[in-house]
Amino acid sequence: MLPEPILKTLELTKSFGNLIAVNNIEIEINRGEIVGLIGPNGAGKTTFFNLVTGLEAPDKGQVVFKGVNIVSMPPHKICKLGMSRTFQITRSFGEMSVEDAIRVGAYNRLGENEVQKKVDEMVEFFELGDIRKTKCSDLGLASLRKVEVARATATEPELLLLDEVGAGLTSVELIKLMAELKKLNQETEVTLCVVEHVMQMVMGLCERIFVLDAGKLIAKGMPDEISNNQKVVEAYLGRRSYIESDVAC
Amino acid sequence: METIIQSVFSGILMGCIYALIALGLSLIFGVMNVVNFAHGNFVMLSMYFTFWAGSLYKIDAIFSPIITFPLLFLFGILVYHGLIKQTLQEHYTIQIAVTVGLMTFLGAITQLVWQARPRALAYSIVQGTIRFGSYTIALSRLISAIISLIIIMIISYFLAKTWPGMAIRATSDDSNAASLMGINFQRTYALAFALGSGLTAIAGGLLMTFQQVDPTMGLRFGLLSFCILALAGLGSITGLVISGLIVGISESLAMTFWDPRARTLVIYLIFILVLWFKPRGIFGRK
Repeated sequence: MLPEPILKTLELTKSFGNLIAVNNIEIEINRGEIVGLIGPNGAGKTTFFNLVTGLEAPDKGQVVFKGVNIVSMPPHKICKLGMSRTFQITRSFGEMSVEDAIRVGAYNRLGENEVQKKVDEMVEFFELGDIRKTKCSDLGLASLRKVEVARATATEPELLLLDEVGAGLTSVELIKLMAELKKLNQETEVTLCVVEHVMQMVMGLCERIFVLDAGKLIAKGMPDEISNNQKVVEAYLGRRSYIESDVAC
Repeated sequence: METIIQSVFSGILMGCIYALIALGLSLIFGVMNVVNFAHGNFVMLSMYFTFWAGSLYKIDAIFSPIITFPLLFLFGILVYHGLIKQTLQEHYTIQIAVTVGLMTFLGAITQLVWQARPRALAYSIVQGTIRFGSYTIALSRLISAIISLIIIMIISYFLAKTWPGMAIRATSDDSNAASLMGINFQRTYALAFALGSGLTAIAGGLLMTFQQVDPTMGLRFGLLSFCILALAGLGSITGLVISGLIVGISESLAMTFWDPRARTLVIYLIFILVLWFKPRGIFGRK
C-alpha cells in the first residue's frame, strides 16, 4: 500500500458568482516530492492555493492535510500544522527589515531562544546576508521573492506552496532560485508545490505536474508526459509565443 | 518673548500627552483599519475612573493607571469581541456607525453617572511648580509629559523587539500573510485594541493630576487624536510624537495670543489643512 499522501483534496469546488473557479478538483501530493500546478491565466491555481491554505472557504469538498480535514480551519492553525506559502504578488511585511520578516515566520514553531538561530540559518541558506537589515519595501523583486520563501521556510513547514515564485525573475535569478529550492527539498525533506507560469521552472524542478484549465484538472503526470499531452497542448502549451515571452522576461 | 517661550513650553508638555493618546488610536487604526471614534471617550472614561479612584479610594491620580490600565485593557478586549469583530468584514460605514454609536453611548453613560459638572481631584503628590529663571512650570505637567514619553518609548520597544509586537506589525502590514505565518490575527487585533484602550488609561491618569474632567472632553480628545494621526500618517512613532507637539504648541499659542476658546478651532484648522494638502500625513508611509 502506498503511504498516506501529505495533501489530498476531494471534490474541491469554489465559485464566484457564475464563475466556477475551482471545479471538483482531486489531487494527491506525496511526502517529499516537488509537484507543479500549471495552467493558463484564470485556470484557478491561486484560488486553489487560497482554498488549501484556508484564506477562502470552499463551497464543497475536503482538503485533507496529514490525514486531517482542514476545511474551515483558520490559516494560522493550518500554518501550525505544517503548511506555509508565498504569494504571487509579493506580500512581504514592507515596514519590516528582512531579518524581522523572517523572524515573524520563525516564531511559528520556535521559542525566544531558538528564533535568532533560525533567522541566521535562513539568511545564510538563501544568501540574504547583505540585505538582512534592509527594509522589505526597499527590495527588488528577486530579493523579495527570496525573502518570502525564507519567511515561509522559517515556519518549518512540511508542505510549502509557492505561488508563481519565478514570475518576473531573469533567467539567471530563476536558475539560482530553482537550485535553492531543490536543495531545500533535499535537505529538509519539505514537500514543495509550485504554481507556475514559467515553464522552464516547472519542467526543470517538478517531478509531477498537475494541469488546470478553467477550474478543472485536465491532466497529471511527469513533465515529459505533460508536454506531449494533447489536451494540455491545446489548453496551454499551444500558445507557444506567450510562453516564450514569459521565459524571456 | 517670554510669553512665547512659556506658551511653547506648556504646549510641548501637553503635546507629549496628546501623542500618547494618539498612539492608542494609531495602534488600532494601523492594525485593523478601524477608526475608533469612541477613542476620545475612552480617555474621558479613564479620567472619570481616575476621579473615582482618587475620591473614593484616595489613590493618587499619578498611580491610578495601576488600576485603570488593566480595567481599560479589559474593556478594550470586550469592545473588540463584542462590537468591532463583527464589523471587520463589513463596509467601513458600518464600522463608523458602530464606533460613533459607542462614543454616544459612553458620553451618555458618563453624564448619567457623573453628571454634567466638571470633576477634579483636589490633590496629587506631583503638585507644585518649578522655576527656570523667569519661567514657571507646573510639576504635574512636566512629570506627565516625561511619563508619556517613557510609555511611548516602551510601546515602541514592544513593537520593535517582542513577539506580540512583531505580530502586531506584521498583521498591520498584511493580515492574511501574517495569518499564513502562524499568527492568530483575531488575537492580535484584540491585543492591539486592548492596548490602544489601555493607553488612554495612562493618559487619563496623567491628565487628572492637573486638570478637571467634564462630559465634553471625549469629543475634544477624539478630535485631537484624529488630527495628530492625520498629521503623522501611519507607521512612524517619531512622526506621531512630533505631530503631537505641533498640535500641543499650536493649541497653546492660540490660547495665549488669541483666545482660550480658540483652542479647538486651531486644531480643526490644522486637521483641515493636513487633509487638504497632505492627505497621507507628513511622516507617513509612502
